Amino acid sequence: MKIPVIERGSIPPDHVAPDSLKGIPRQQTNPGRWQGDTWQDFVEYLKSKGVIVRQERSECSVFVTDAGGLAYGLPHGIVRPNSADDVSKVLKAAQMYRVPVTTRGGGLTTEGESVAFGGLLLDMSSMNNVLEIDPDAMTVRTQAGIFWHQLAEILRRDGMDYLSAPLNLTASVGGTLGVGGIDVNSPRLGCSADQAVALQVVTPTGDIIACSETENPELMERVLLGYGQFGVITEATLKIRKFSPITMKYFYYSSLRTAIEDLQFIAKEDAADYCGILTIIDRAITLLVAFDSDEREKEFNSRWRNKLRGHGEVGFGIRMAWHYLMHPWDFKEAAYIIGRRLTLFPEFSRPEFMRDGKIVDRTVVFSRAVWKFWGGKQMVIPDLSSNAEKFAEAVERGNAVCRKYFKYYTLYCVGIKLRGRLPRYEMSCIPSDASDIAYGCEFEPMLRDTDYSRDYLQAFKNEIYDIGADMGLSYYRFGGMMKGYIRRVFGNELVDRHLAMKREADPAMILNPDVIF
Amino acid sequence: MANSKKHKKGYEACSGCGVCLLVCPLWRKTSSMSATRKGRARAMQGGATPEEIASSIDACLMCGSCGPACPEEISITEMNIEQRRRLNESRTKYPSWYPKSDKTISAAPHGPLRRSAILLAGECLSADPEATSRVIRLLGGDKKAALAHDDGRDIAADMEAGLPLNDKRIKSFIANISNADTLVVAEGLLHFALMEWLPRKKIKGLGEALMDSASLSKSLGPDDIYIIESRGYHSDFERLVKYYDRLRHETGCQMNLDLQRIAIPTGASSLQARHNIETAGCLDHARWIMKGRRVKRIVVEDLADVKVFQSISDVPVVHISGL
Repeated sequence: MKIPVIERGSIPPDHVAPDSLKGIPRQQTNPGRWQGDTWQDFVEYLKSKGVIVRQERSECSVFVTDAGGLAYGLPHGIVRPNSADDVSKVLKAAQMYRVPVTTRGGGLTTEGESVAFGGLLLDMSSMNNVLEIDPDAMTVRTQAGIFWHQLAEILRRDGMDYLSAPLNLTASVGGTLGVGGIDVNSPRLGCSADQAVALQVVTPTGDIIACSETENPELMERVLLGYGQFGVITEATLKIRKFSPITMKYFYYSSLRTAIEDLQFIAKEDAADYCGILTIIDRAITLLVAFDSDEREKEFNSRWRNKLRGHGEVGFGIRMAWHYLMHPWDFKEAAYIIGRRLTLFPEFSRPEFMRDGKIVDRTVVFSRAVWKFWGGKQMVIPDLSSNAEKFAEAVERGNAVCRKYFKYYTLYCVGIKLRGRLPRYEMSCIPSDASDIAYGCEFEPMLRDTDYSRDYLQAFKNEIYDIGADMGLSYYRFGGMMKGYIRRVFGNELVDRHLAMKREADPAMILNPDVIF
Repeated sequence: MANSKKHKKGYEACSGCGVCLLVCPLWRKTSSMSATRKGRARAMQGGATPEEIASSIDACLMCGSCGPACPEEISITEMNIEQRRRLNESRTKYPSWYPKSDKTISAAPHGPLRRSAILLAGECLSADPEATSRVIRLLGGDKKAALAHDDGRDIAADMEAGLPLNDKRIKSFIANISNADTLVVAEGLLHFALMEWLPRKKIKGLGEALMDSASLSKSLGPDDIYIIESRGYHSDFERLVKYYDRLRHETGCQMNLDLQRIAIPTGASSLQARHNIETAGCLDHARWIMKGRRVKRIVVEDLADVKVFQSISDVPVVHISGL
């Protein structure tokens, strides 16, 4: 066999080689495990304070990875706190014995942010009681480890609902407030963190502090979208509203840019209560639009409907059929789209979740579909967030990367209404140059039937994130395995300022290590 | 079930999404991930043995809620039973609530029953002859319906405990009921097994069978909460979720359904609850079902639930046969 000689330097970057991780030192994708020298003393101390640390393999294994399924690490032990006082004892002891503490709610991170590489895992899901529903103030006060779905179950018995939350049943309130939380009504209502009226926070040194926009506002601004760096949220008071079923409409596009322009048009004009884009590859692009009331729907139909360039299902079907007739070699892609369409969309209109043509319990409907059609043992969901002007280009460039790496994937685009320029938006998914409404896009490959190496997936994520670094955008998932991008995107000045604040708040740097700093 | 050849997904397929724990009564009671189906699957993926997670395996009430919630479509009830079976192999002492060997059940004295509907009453319903005869009457009377002498309760109990099933025993049980068009199963776990053993028969829970009578459904209204027997419901979820949704819509009654349309169980029919309803958590589960509800009557499908709801509520509790 003759092996051709290739000149050094002429080989393009390999997807799975170290040089594909442009600018990202490899070791940052896989934190080293804490050695645990002070562990036994720490456990004994906590025991003396009445806090039980579970160390059995069967207990620890439950938390071996997160929803991403790419980062694996075991804690030395677990605490399930019952109160802020328990959390305080843990953090005070952790400072004293320099034991890393990883907090976890639903564990829905994808970059290992809620995976403990040794140390203690604080399983906040045990703090899941609703403390008070105030129908006059239209707020709910709840322990922050509660999952949004549990909260919805309780609110619904009073005919209430939360404002916005991730389309995921097992996301926790505390975890969501720590990163933002995006819903399909975020173009109108903002991110979930912006629904928080007041918080109870345990600082990294174990102080229990109440905060709101008027009481300890600096802490409030640090903790919301703070990626768990400046405290553990133990209670949250959130805005609520009357529950209402929704009416949903779909518009179909074959051009990403056109769909994005229409999404931005709807968001800007406040033409719908919910809107977002969901694609099957980049061929079948669906703009979802939904309404809380008949009046809003009527207004949309009379004022805005004709301005949208999307097609109805039949019209779009004919165009798709024509396209694939002209491109018969893409028949597998056509079959995939048809198959996906036939299985996915009926899920949005299951009869038990419909009443008089309206979707009841939209979060359940969407979340079930999310897990059924996008879930799996491994998930990578790199994302880009941008101001309105750069968004279409960012999505198109990200789409090209998806095309390069994967046969089948989904893009999910949504807007996020901003409440001015709040300090909480610094070092978050909200880009510094966004005003009024920011936009985000998730790029999710369908990994189900194929085994990809971790390096291949990391290379894919890096290439998406390189677009962000190049265009001056931001990301939702910049922690954990992607933290190598933090300085590139936010700049040294901002990162150093936050690092100094972190060092002051958390002298032993024990709270959620390897997430940001 | 014991003879199933179909490939079914096991714990290794669990992606850890956690949707199952939202519906798990043990999660609601303990807030401990390791007590749940997700916890057990994750622990086993991490190399834990059944002995290491024995307390979690034993705590499971086999309500079946996690099955239809699972987006991976893992056969969770079967997996739970299989884990109990594996655990039994390695231990010498069973929990106190395990079924005692019952040699009194024998084949039907008069050969196979020949009726259109056969009622498999199970332990709780058959202990109440009045309720049993009301059920037979509502099913069309003695000419159309009959009470099975052998209702398979020992099989259901062994299955729930993960004890070995005797093929000969199962055959004799099936032979007794195989002439019926419809099997009305009060014991939910058997519902699940019969769907596999007798795939061509109509298998109905007590609620569905009795509610087919228009007069009964008409007596339900918005002031009622209707408590679905969870095991049977979850065994045939895809069909029954539509059935009960229609019933709820038509009558306006409330039901023990959560937002995912999973029936919140009390666990009253579980082996643990037969031993002690309080330690099995049935009262806590019932309290959660009733929390924030304003109703004037509680209607239960499972006779075992009467006692549970009477213990926690002042509202009258009636069995469906007494409507």
